[in-house]
Amino acid sequence: MLEGINRIGPFEWEVPVGFVPGMRVPGRFFLSDELSQTLERGAITQLANVATMPGIIRNSLAMPDIHWGYGFPIGGVAAFGLDDGVISPGGVGFDINCGVRILTTPLTRKDLQKKQELIENLFAAVPTGVGAKSTLRLAQKELTGMLSQGAKWAVKQGYGIPDDVLFCEEQGAMEGADPDAVSAKARQRGMPQSGTLGSGNHFLEIQEVAEVYDPKAAEAFGLAAGQICVMIHCGSRGLGHQVCTDYIQILEGATKKYGITLPDRQLACAPLQSPEGQKYFGAMAASANYAWANRQVIMHMVRGVFARMFGLAYEELRLVYDVAHNVAKFEEHRVGGDRRRVCVHRKGATRAFGPGAADLPPAYLSTGQPVIIPGSMGTPSFLLRGTEAAMEKTFGSTCHGAGRVMSRTKAKHALSGNVVRQTLAAEGIIVRAHNPGALADEAPQVYKPSGEVVRVVHEAGISRLVARLTPLGVIKG
Amino acid sequence: MTFRELEHTADVRIRVEAGSLEELFSEAARALMTIMYGVAEVGGLEVPVEVSAHDRESLMHTFLSEVLYISEVRDIVVSGARVTITGNDLTGTLYGEPFSPEKHSSGMEVKGISFSGLSVAHAHDSYTLEVIFDV
Repeated sequence: MLEGINRIGPFEWEVPVGFVPGMRVPGRFFLSDELSQTLERGAITQLANVATMPGIIRNSLAMPDIHWGYGFPIGGVAAFGLDDGVISPGGVGFDINCGVRILTTPLTRKDLQKKQELIENLFAAVPTGVGAKSTLRLAQKELTGMLSQGAKWAVKQGYGIPDDVLFCEEQGAMEGADPDAVSAKARQRGMPQSGTLGSGNHFLEIQEVAEVYDPKAAEAFGLAAGQICVMIHCGSRGLGHQVCTDYIQILEGATKKYGITLPDRQLACAPLQSPEGQKYFGAMAASANYAWANRQVIMHMVRGVFARMFGLAYEELRLVYDVAHNVAKFEEHRVGGDRRRVCVHRKGATRAFGPGAADLPPAYLSTGQPVIIPGSMGTPSFLLRGTEAAMEKTFGSTCHGAGRVMSRTKAKHALSGNVVRQTLAAEGIIVRAHNPGALADEAPQVYKPSGEVVRVVHEAGISRLVARLTPLGVIKG
Repeated sequence: MTFRELEHTADVRIRVEAGSLEELFSEAARALMTIMYGVAEVGGLEVPVEVSAHDRESLMHTFLSEVLYISEVRDIVVSGARVTITGNDLTGTLYGEPFSPEKHSSGMEVKGISFSGLSVAHAHDSYTLEVIFDV
């Protein structure tokens, strides 16, 4: 382990105040010995930098998929007081509400005789890749609807059923969204990209429930061993990217205006109560809503393909849940002996509310929130559930994915896209992408083993394993 | 005039070198587009560009963010820029080729330009930029 860091539990580590100058609280992160081999000092410095921000409560936190990002580390979580705290685009990221949803089908593997055709049909139905354009033709008024009402807008437009929104974090639409705070540039980028998957680590995957660890929770989530599921991973596209860019520049000015000293310009922030901070929140929430609408529209396209190919009713593809990975939200948490409303930033982390928490659909009140952890192309994904321990330790948060271990430059030299495709094909996983280079870049070897990351959150108790899902086919951007 | 990729686990970190500040901005734009689209060549399209900031790093950040925006909404793959820089104001022209899915699908989408690790240095006759693109 890196020098200057203290172990405080089998999977918990502390970065003491003083690790970087100006820390207001200690940093804490979750990691196993195995994962600590690839821990970067840059990531811990970023974790410590977050601890210097005004109004931070208790700890600057990081999940076991921690790695070096910009501003906050990826895997970073921090809560700020409403009166003395700040909000920062660097604690959310460029891809606002990059997130993931999973839906179940009534199919099993034996029904997938035409898997290749299924993948091709999905690839044709869902626009993917750099420069891909939407099949939706939105008017400005409709874009405003997306920004203010998120998945609810999509359902009203016929891209889903009313029940879908019950099974989204925030019911698929954050309160406080302010479409007027979204710039004309961001709207211009968002208009032709609604209902597109994007590229990079975004994907659409056909999966099989390979193993159930928690039958009671799996039953509540509507999941059984052998079942075919679909996972959709994407975010707010150019609209969210532009909102982040716009507000980093605005909040850089605010940082100076309010006399806030920061060790990294990417942490530019403004007091939560300031006009600049409130405007960023409104724009960020609107972008988050765009992302929820986006995933809802893509799910509609997926349902269409399955309905046509397998003669299923639209409703037979049921949404289990939809979670955000990059977002800042107002939530109520226990702080000291009191319950306080705080602003929780999650940058590459998943909300993991425990049993009985507000915002859970009635069906999941006794299990806790479903937590969806996507793997990489060849590695399993996991379904977990939120816990009381997460509420106590991490403001109801857990990991979001595997986390990279190999840089893109190394991956390009070490791996060939075609070899990656063939290796996966030999394992029965069909991969479809516009760009073979993207396959090398997102190959299983470039990520930390997803199983080890979820083992840490399971053992640390900040979420509990429910099921493992293995990939059968994947569409990459 | 050249750029190269440096090690970065999650994102793309590049170093760009040029003989003048104007060339550095032009080459940075080409580097961004090459990462994003695989290739960026001269192809007859031109778009005016004008940005201002409060220091040199912010000017680079704002300029590259503008290139990203213009590329996306105008369907242009920028291969360079002719710019004039006066203090912290930049005006000029971006040039490049029309975006084509067949030709430009071998890169990766850049989500944003990071301020973390952004530096513009000047020594003797050369200017050096280091910057991280979120992908």
